[in-house]
Amino acid sequence: MKRNRVITRRDFLRGTVYTALATSAGLPVGKQVKAEEKVKVVLIRDEKVIDQQGRINKQIVQQMLDRGVSHLLQQEDPIQAWKKLIIPTDVVGIKSNAWGPLPTPAELEGAIQQRILDVGVPKEKISIDDRGVLDNKVFRSSTALINVHPLRTHFWSGIGGCIKNYIIFSRTPWFYHTESCSPLASIWSKPIVKGKTRLNILSLIQTQFYSRGAHHFDRRYVSEYKGLLIGKDPVALDAIGVRLLQRQRVAYFGEDRPLDTQPIHILAADQKYKLGVSDLNRIEIVKLGWMEGVLI
Amino acid sequence: MRVFICSLFIFITLLLISRGPAFSAEVNIKKTEMKKLLPKEISAYKSEGNDEFYDRQTTFRYMDGAAELYRSFAFKYLLVRRYLKVSASVIIVELFDMGSAEEAFGIFTFETGGEDLGVGQGSDYGGGLLRFWKGKFFVNVYAEQEAPSTKQDVLEIGQSIARSLGREGLKPKLIHYLPEEGLSERSIRYFHLHQGLNSHYFVSHQNILRLGEKTNAVLASYLLPQTTDKTFLLLIQYPTKKLAGEALQSFVKVYMPDASTSKTIKTENGRWAAAQSHQEYVLVVFDAPNKENAEELVQAAEKRLGERRP
Repeated sequence: MKRNRVITRRDFLRGTVYTALATSAGLPVGKQVKAEEKVKVVLIRDEKVIDQQGRINKQIVQQMLDRGVSHLLQQEDPIQAWKKLIIPTDVVGIKSNAWGPLPTPAELEGAIQQRILDVGVPKEKISIDDRGVLDNKVFRSSTALINVHPLRTHFWSGIGGCIKNYIIFSRTPWFYHTESCSPLASIWSKPIVKGKTRLNILSLIQTQFYSRGAHHFDRRYVSEYKGLLIGKDPVALDAIGVRLLQRQRVAYFGEDRPLDTQPIHILAADQKYKLGVSDLNRIEIVKLGWMEGVLI
Repeated sequence: MRVFICSLFIFITLLLISRGPAFSAEVNIKKTEMKKLLPKEISAYKSEGNDEFYDRQTTFRYMDGAAELYRSFAFKYLLVRRYLKVSASVIIVELFDMGSAEEAFGIFTFETGGEDLGVGQGSDYGGGLLRFWKGKFFVNVYAEQEAPSTKQDVLEIGQSIARSLGREGLKPKLIHYLPEEGLSERSIRYFHLHQGLNSHYFVSHQNILRLGEKTNAVLASYLLPQTTDKTFLLLIQYPTKKLAGEALQSFVKVYMPDASTSKTIKTENGRWAAAQSHQEYVLVVFDAPNKENAEELVQAAEKRLGERRP
């Protein structure tokens, strides 16, 4: 991003942030969006995925994943859909997130792994990992990655989502913390990940829409949204995620409480690093399943 | 040449990460000192398992993302201990050595939206989490699972730890320059970096006020007479008068390019902002209801700076 335009609070007050950021990146603004340029993401929700005791139902997670991936890839059979993503000779890393208070649900990790097994990838060629990826033999020799992360607010980058999930592919993650983590998407061009990501999944089964507390986690601000957001474009998923968290804050507080940090890294991922699409006007959300309180 | 520079960089990085025996000895001494500050038993709770100990580098292993908040202050060490009693959830205590009372106060002020339970030199309780500071220490006490008894249990443990933390410390001098009329005490935030400022009041994604490790900043909200909305006062201390002047210029150029020599403007929300420098300080008022209020608050802060300087 060129530094010839600085974003300030006044841009937010004017409602010109997007224009300002686009200008900052030296991009044309006000361009007409053609329908065919839209990026497709699938939102699938199921009211029963969490039971009254707060347990996540493994079977329902599998059904949600299957339905979402099938719809995204326009295949009736989920295994046929996965075959469009993964081939039996692939070595597959499932990049999860192990953050203690709100990790990627194990049930979702298991559902993804099951479908990769169904495609015909041997178990020893599949690994689920987070902080150990750089020393993990499967990840080091991987030919395909599945990126899965829960949606939550994050102190340093605004939100933690699909883009940020790859920060651990660097041994020096703090190098990516400058300017609200705006360089995060540059990690996606490292050889260990470049061009390997076949699918991104933002877990919305539980979302953290506001950060407070010892580890920026407070149970009061965790929502049981009971959804999955699935797509090939990590930037589009995160952009939708930002909007959802904003709507959840408004619903909870009656006003939009600002994030600790503006998630500028999502726009930078689009405008500077060309990783995907962040403009909500260019994202098509296909909504499936339970729609009560959908907010987006 | 590039290979040589890269190799040198990697060597230095590894050296910093690994560190030597002298460092390990110092860490062990600190660890022992901090362990002594936490009672082994508090009421029916007993310490459970091994304590965990982290420094500025290793704390990332314990906190994903949140470590940056502590590292934005002069945080030195963290001791984590778990307490357990029969038929109750584990209670976790995180004891941070922040290096000084000013830094402990700073991290405490990061959020004070809950209830003050009178623990240590300042406390905040909400959602099963008790946060407090005393001397150079900042403490989090919280239950893994919240239950009806959590508040009482967390309070007892917090009070016991506060008693063992020794002497109280002084709050940062900077906060004494805040004008008192209309000041909301619980709104005071003390920090150093522009990320800290943005987390409380977003100004810009770039560091236009040139905040850094050597700057001290305080942000507070005011309820001015006959107003219902908050007005914010930001007071920053720079290492030198020259740096303060440069920071003010940078801020005015980007944030208020439409300002006249008075450096007071009406912003897009219909409210007023004013900025001024005074010796090595920069003062900025945001969201004042009118021009007079904005300028008066800046002048009141300037007056206090003049009165209290040696």
